[in-house]
Amino acid sequence: MGEFRFLLNGKVVTVKAPPCYTLLEVLRYVLRMTGTKEGCARGDCGECTVLLDGEPVHACLTVMTQVEGRSVTTIEGIDPQHPLVRAFVEAGAVQCGHCTPGLIISSYALLSRNPSPTEEEVREAIRGNLCRCTGYSKIVRAVLSAAGV
Amino acid sequence: MTSKSSYVGAPVVRRDAFEKATGTAMYASDLFPDDFLWVSVLRSRYPHAHIRRIDTAKARLHAGVVAVLTHEDVPVNRFGVFVKDRPVLCDDRVRYIGDPVALVAAETREAALEAVKMIEVDYEELPAVTDPISALRADSPKVHEGGNVCRQTSLRFGDVEGAFARADVVVEGTYTTGTQIHAFLETEAGISYLDEKGRVVVVAGGQSPHRDRAEIAHALNLPPERVRVITPYVGGAFGGKDDVTVQIHLALVTMKTGRPARLVLSREESMLSGTKRHPAIIKMRTAASRDGRLLANEVEIVYDTGAYAALGPAVLDVAIENCNGPYRISSAKIDAYLVYTNNMVASAFRGFGAPQVMFAMERQIDRIARRIGIDPIELRLINAIRKGDVYVFGNRMEGSVGIYDCLRIAREHPLWRERRSGEGLEYPWLRRGVGVAAGMKGYTIGALPDRGSVSVELRRDGSIAVSGSFTEIGQGVVESVAQLTAELFKVPVGKVHVLFADTERSPDTSVTSASRQIFLAGNALRKAFEEVVERVRDLIELDTGRRPTGVTFTEEGVVAGADEVIPLGELAERLESRGLGRTVIGTYEVPKVEPIAGTLEIPHLFFMFGVTIAEVIVNVLTGSVTVPRVVAVIDAGRVINPINFTGQIEGAVVQGLGYALMEEAKIVNGYLQTKDLSTYLIPSSKDAPEIEVIPVESYEEEGPFGAKGIGEVGILSVAPAVVNAVAEACGVEPTSIPLTPEKLYWLLKEVGVVDKIRGAGGRLE
Amino acid sequence: MEVPLHDVDVLVPKNLTEALRILSERRDIRVLAGGTDLLVQLRSGAVSKSDLIDISRLQELRYIRHSDGYIAIGALTTYSDIAGSDIVRRYAPLLAEAAETVGSVQIMNKGTIGGNVINASPAADSLPPLYVLDAKLKLVSVDGTRAVGISDFYRGYKKLEIRPNELLAEVRLRAMGAGEVGHFFKHGLRQGDAISVVNGAVVLDLDGDKVVNAAIALGAVAPTVVRAPEAERVLKGKRLSEDVMWEASREVLKSISPIDDVRGSAAYRRELSVNYLYMTLWRLAREVGAL
Repeated sequence: MGEFRFLLNGKVVTVKAPPCYTLLEVLRYVLRMTGTKEGCARGDCGECTVLLDGEPVHACLTVMTQVEGRSVTTIEGIDPQHPLVRAFVEAGAVQCGHCTPGLIISSYALLSRNPSPTEEEVREAIRGNLCRCTGYSKIVRAVLSAAGV
Repeated sequence: MTSKSSYVGAPVVRRDAFEKATGTAMYASDLFPDDFLWVSVLRSRYPHAHIRRIDTAKARLHAGVVAVLTHEDVPVNRFGVFVKDRPVLCDDRVRYIGDPVALVAAETREAALEAVKMIEVDYEELPAVTDPISALRADSPKVHEGGNVCRQTSLRFGDVEGAFARADVVVEGTYTTGTQIHAFLETEAGISYLDEKGRVVVVAGGQSPHRDRAEIAHALNLPPERVRVITPYVGGAFGGKDDVTVQIHLALVTMKTGRPARLVLSREESMLSGTKRHPAIIKMRTAASRDGRLLANEVEIVYDTGAYAALGPAVLDVAIENCNGPYRISSAKIDAYLVYTNNMVASAFRGFGAPQVMFAMERQIDRIARRIGIDPIELRLINAIRKGDVYVFGNRMEGSVGIYDCLRIAREHPLWRERRSGEGLEYPWLRRGVGVAAGMKGYTIGALPDRGSVSVELRRDGSIAVSGSFTEIGQGVVESVAQLTAELFKVPVGKVHVLFADTERSPDTSVTSASRQIFLAGNALRKAFEEVVERVRDLIELDTGRRPTGVTFTEEGVVAGADEVIPLGELAERLESRGLGRTVIGTYEVPKVEPIAGTLEIPHLFFMFGVTIAEVIVNVLTGSVTVPRVVAVIDAGRVINPINFTGQIEGAVVQGLGYALMEEAKIVNGYLQTKDLSTYLIPSSKDAPEIEVIPVESYEEEGPFGAKGIGEVGILSVAPAVVNAVAEACGVEPTSIPLTPEKLYWLLKEVGVVDKIRGAGGRLE
Repeated sequence: MEVPLHDVDVLVPKNLTEALRILSERRDIRVLAGGTDLLVQLRSGAVSKSDLIDISRLQELRYIRHSDGYIAIGALTTYSDIAGSDIVRRYAPLLAEAAETVGSVQIMNKGTIGGNVINASPAADSLPPLYVLDAKLKLVSVDGTRAVGISDFYRGYKKLEIRPNELLAEVRLRAMGAGEVGHFFKHGLRQGDAISVVNGAVVLDLDGDKVVNAAIALGAVAPTVVRAPEAERVLKGKRLSEDVMWEASREVLKSISPIDDVRGSAAYRRELSVNYLYMTLWRLAREVGAL
């Protein structure tokens, strides 16, 4: 059992967990923060995307030693009033919604480094976030509309 | 938004979107009841084997393990909707690689996973039969005692022989379609616990809480009242959660241990044990006259249902019913087989048997058009069925039929009109093509008894609570029900509360499948509304002695009899105090039809229709196909919510593209090779085209406010449209989907397209 | 069936020296860099369970430098670092192209070039560019430092020229010169991220439209990435005509020995190898105005 300190959504947390536990296991099983979803646990679907020091990564492929001392942002750390959230809701980009938190995180990271992306750049940025319901059109539109494009 | 009393047709933002987008919405996989046990499932290692012995001793002794359960612990060890042929836990035999053999319930996840590996199963491997054609042979290994024919039927309509004799053109083909995996993002998941009354409660992703309850009660030999099923938000289903998945296992663990339990399948387990779209082999011979009239269709349908029947018997009927397409065709001969094999179980998947036959028929139609030298949409228009027509099975098309209008709109669409424009392609090895296809499928469950109930409670705060057992699997049924309620009662949609999918609290609206919930729940709501109107009359009669005739709901309240306007909250209060009750139940029953001899559920009374136009770019040096644009022209009845409507169609289109081009479950001798989302590929944001959805509002008179089902229609004609486009682009005639790059490449090579580009310098031979 | 990893110990060295000491003492340990491959393999049981040494925080192994005609890339440099590097874009653009297609943005942010080299998948996207740019791998241990050429490093399928106590510290490539052009290519089964069925890299040193030198490498068509010397030979000294490009492409068959797997047959891979080489040469020819 290890003890890990890191910044989670702006607050310092200390978690006891086996060192090879993934951030996803810690979020869901230890902290019971279930906004971050599990879709495959092997880096194929993007559902568990979180920001690690501001960059989107798979929580399922990040072990706790890689989290120690760093900053993690999950969907719970995104302001509910953020334009992306509103855009996803209003554009109809949410159906079953299971992929949505990961998509919002990936889109958030995109807009942080590229505030006015093209449609192609949006599609590139979210290519690792699978959605089985929407066909992606409304998701892409939501990201563009949040960016004011 | 339009005026607040007009919610049907308004782009209302769905109420669950915000909580889902912020991560606060709870799915079954997000639940961790106090003191729960982690459950892990041991599954078969072989596609077919005899179980000699199961030794659980070591696993039971493993630290943290609370229970290890086998078939001996299951009171009634067979389940299934049509045929009770599926063991809860295998006893004498395993019949496919995902077949469950034992359950471990443990204090930790790790203990459960480790203990599963300590269970020793002594298998005697049996020869497996893994293709349906071999399975039909007399000397093949038998998957079930009764043989490998799960269901067979032969139907004849009209003078088939005469039609072929008269025909100017006969086109023949054998088409194969692949095993599509639902790949919903949330795998099969649930929890269970005993409530204070000793009932076992199962909270799980599903599509049919009341039917799941019946399956659990049957297997555990309990009265249904001792079982409660709740379906929270479901992270995608598409038919893959129509059958029972984790529910009986969870209930069993909780009954045996008295403890709450949690079972969430891993992605690999989901891929192995989950149901699939039936892989199909379809032979078709279609006759037409020189002037483009379809005369006869001779069809042989073989669907591989895998190890168990599941919903296969009904899937086969949908295949039969739609295999002639939305056309006036005077004769048909159909032989259909549903075959057991040692492959994974096939059952419901959006389209429910129709996409396979639609691929075959719509390829046939394009080939006939080419033979006659007629525009493919013209050929379809010549034959398109209209409302009131008698279809080939002798059933009259009494519901709305919008296919003719869909085809006309498609014909005028710029993508179709300019389909041959020589748009500048970047490289000499690229080819462009545009293809079209039509689709049809019945919604509701046809000649099978089909009814649904909802309750409506008038609340004293002026709001309305509606409840039904429909499940929110992403399609947006909750908001649509709210909009219909708002429209009927003339209340703001925000004042409609929707409680759904809890067997204890929701009347049985039956299954959330077959694109039926808008129609069933919507019509049940209308019945409930009529019942409320009667109560209002009763109330006024009690109060004034006169029974009013006209009762009108307005934004201010209900107007009955004189000028009195009763606000809704006051109405609720008065109904309550007068003892009339302020909750009503509305039940709608789909008009009964007699099934055609030899079928379970043919004919349907109500059908949905659509046309897909697809543009493809083919790289002839690799076989890769990209799809820049798709137009979906959909007979939508009346659209309740345009955002949710286009969302359903766009999603179905992309699922259809996956089916057409990419989603290849590779199965070798019953073993699945593509067990994850890096080998079983579904479309990503970069694979999805620009999609234009055009609704054709055909107004269904029997539907709520003219609406009809739309959940499945978007996928029906995607694969044939894409493949027809590829045929147009490259001069090949593919007969098999998914049309993967490799499959297409070899076709291109065969017809000389590759060598033509390579020229003299590049010939490999 | 998932292998739980709760009993795996993860050692976290503070610096390279400590990492090398641990590696010299613990032969039973695996090196964890980004983790994008290793964690999947451990959990699926594809590799046996072992303790890990997590070197992902060793910033001293994360850099991209250019000097004396070489590009030096620290082993822990991520694909995102590489794809966004001006140095790489200028002097090894085909490596940037490869880094961009290796996987999703999430994978690019975590996966490292060193991890990709050591994981030794014959389909790894970063490897063909390393082959055509004559990469040298710097291996360090408590015993010292040595450099191994990339084609000597891979002795067979997942057989590596590395000692148990050694750590890959740096990948060093030749910087492309002014007359050189090149591309990475990849055949995946979807537009979004997908593992390569065939991939490769081509570098041409051109004098006008005449090929002075050519380097071609292909992946996923042999137990290791391979160079295609016969094809290179055809191109040398020639102008990029249709016939020459096809002839060279056809020669690639002499260098490859693909197998059937879940992503494609050997026969298809042979066809793709020829056709992709042609398409890549054609694009390069067009870009330099030879077509």
